Amino acid sequence: MSVVFFLRDSIAVAENEFRQFRRNRSAILISLIILPFFFTASLGAGQGGAGTTFSATADIPIMFVDNDNSLASLRLLQTLTSSADFHSLIQSYNEQTAVAALGTKRTYAVIVVPKGFQNDLAIGRQARVILYTDDSEPGVSDQIESTLSTYVQNFNPNLEVQTFLTALQKQSISQVEIVRKGAIFAGFNVGLTIVLAVVQIFAGFYEIAGGMSREREEGTYARLLLTPIPIGSIVLGKTIFDLLLSVVRTFIVLGLSVYGYGARPNTDIVTLLALSLLVALVTMGLGFVASALKMGQRAVVIVEFFLILFLFAFSGLIIDKELLVGVSQVIANLLPFTYAFDALRRTVLLGRSLLSLTGDLQYMIGSCIVFYATAFILLLKSRERLIR
Amino acid sequence: MSDNSVTSQELTKIFGHFRAVDTLNLNVKGGELFGLLGPNGAGKTTTVRMLCTLIEPSIGTASVAGYDIRRDAAAVRRSIGVVSEGVSLYKDLTIEENLKLLSTLYDIPRGRAENRIKELLEMFAFREKTRRLVGALSSGWAKKAMICAALLHDPKVLFLDEVTSGLDPQSAIALQDFTRNLCNQGVTVIWTTHYMTEPEKICDRVGVMFAGRLVQVGTPNELKHSVSELSLVEVETPDLSPTQLEKVRHKLNSINHVCKVKYADSKLQVSCERTETLAEEVASALLDAGARIRAINTRDPTLEEAFIAMTGGEEEIDRFLEGAGQKA
Repeated sequence: MSVVFFLRDSIAVAENEFRQFRRNRSAILISLIILPFFFTASLGAGQGGAGTTFSATADIPIMFVDNDNSLASLRLLQTLTSSADFHSLIQSYNEQTAVAALGTKRTYAVIVVPKGFQNDLAIGRQARVILYTDDSEPGVSDQIESTLSTYVQNFNPNLEVQTFLTALQKQSISQVEIVRKGAIFAGFNVGLTIVLAVVQIFAGFYEIAGGMSREREEGTYARLLLTPIPIGSIVLGKTIFDLLLSVVRTFIVLGLSVYGYGARPNTDIVTLLALSLLVALVTMGLGFVASALKMGQRAVVIVEFFLILFLFAFSGLIIDKELLVGVSQVIANLLPFTYAFDALRRTVLLGRSLLSLTGDLQYMIGSCIVFYATAFILLLKSRERLIR
Repeated sequence: MSDNSVTSQELTKIFGHFRAVDTLNLNVKGGELFGLLGPNGAGKTTTVRMLCTLIEPSIGTASVAGYDIRRDAAAVRRSIGVVSEGVSLYKDLTIEENLKLLSTLYDIPRGRAENRIKELLEMFAFREKTRRLVGALSSGWAKKAMICAALLHDPKVLFLDEVTSGLDPQSAIALQDFTRNLCNQGVTVIWTTHYMTEPEKICDRVGVMFAGRLVQVGTPNELKHSVSELSLVEVETPDLSPTQLEKVRHKLNSINHVCKVKYADSKLQVSCERTETLAEEVASALLDAGARIRAINTRDPTLEEAFIAMTGGEEEIDRFLEGAGQKA
């Protein structure tokens, strides 16, 4: 029976949150319009403009050298030129001259079909396509490599792409594995992973920590504490309401990304929603901890600013976690949001199932439990500090 | 009046090194209107907050409506109503919505809650204001809304903490009458205030708090009589020059029982230990100094004056307020 009362109280708190939210235009504006639309639209516009399917490689000048002069190599060229991703493919007849043009901004990559390409395919051996890239533009190189690999794999599954990175004309040739992380996928998929996580983190923290500090400063938290309901009901009620908002936000970001900016997430909606809500829950837990520390509304804004800085610097949002060094990597490994970004990328970009992400999920769920437990204990212990 | 409704034993609250409330022993009977009187920082609000379970005592305990504030905090909360400066309603909701939320949290059955809400809103004549957001109400109406919220669940004990501050005089008087009626219906009310005239008018008993301690408890009359050794003489004497005032002061100070001489708005006020001859001595000093006397009057001390005497005089209070200001 007490569980029923607990849930009923929690739902009453959630309903109350909803009533207030519906009256508060600025809260609606920030939570459901500015944050999801602003982030998605700004990143989307930066990657191609609304209403178009954006290709990062379409207008990049790339040279194509056919040393095989076979039907197979011709077909590969036709495949690339007829695609929407290689509008500026320039045919060249001399490999050396083409490679020499790297680093001059006249071309950013050279695709070379070596002799024996067709023969290898005919006898069922792995054929090779050599890709020279300008490593002064690593982001562009990664993008070209990944886009090319998609077409090469579609062209013949036995093909592999070998990248020969050159620093301008230095021919330091080495075989590298294709890393399917970062901005290597067509469309707005990468943008979707970033926007979804950032929006949930930004909004979740603002709503919980900011909302609690507002309640404390206005004296309504003391009013709740004077009723017989337990603190757990207050926490659960606020969480339920914010989770519902997070669902709405997820659909706004997803809809805008897919229909506005051509994202094609490689996963199902349930997985995406589950991950999005998990990110929101971890953030809300952190928000409750912040609010239990008697943080004022101004302090919440400052902490949110630092939180975003941390996300940008240490959580793999800009620099991959693997590329960080020293203390930065330690911080990245401790931040639950690092695992959130990782999980979102693996699902949205690679189509991995949630079951294959147990490590990431465990860390996120663990962090969520730790945050909520800490917040609960602090809220219990610091009742008097939380009263105006 | 029935058994004790609020009792405390050695109730103490320490913030760091500061004893906000110091070994408070209180007994308030059921249906009693008990005033807690004291200047800002005396420990009244902290006492109320401990009694209504918002903060935990450092030492000692208390029981409210028969429930221990430490062990049965939820039961205490069900039995009390609180109107305090730090406790508010949701500004983005109407008074009706606020009351509906609270009725759920207090576990009041829906039908009963609806009737009670209607009754309260009619009692306080909210009329069309029921649909107005609390944030849009004037401070007087907002205070009435808070009183409605405090009364919603028919509390046995009502805490009214500085409830008249910000109210216009008519509303304050109406609220005092309303509170008196509540007590007649058996509700215990603890009324904290720093306005000295309020408890004198309405409270059954008054507890005087100063520097965290309960200095004295009694009916307003008892408190006044407890300082009955105080004699007060007021003389209406216009145009008293500084030289004349100095002469009067010098003369009166030579009489060892005189404690204080004040002159403001053409009125000379002399207070001292009880003596039958004070009026004559004051009149004589004034006439010797060449002052005119328009009227002379002796009277009993007010509760405010009794309070000042109980707490060690105005200098002591000023020192305390200065200290409280520094702490704040």
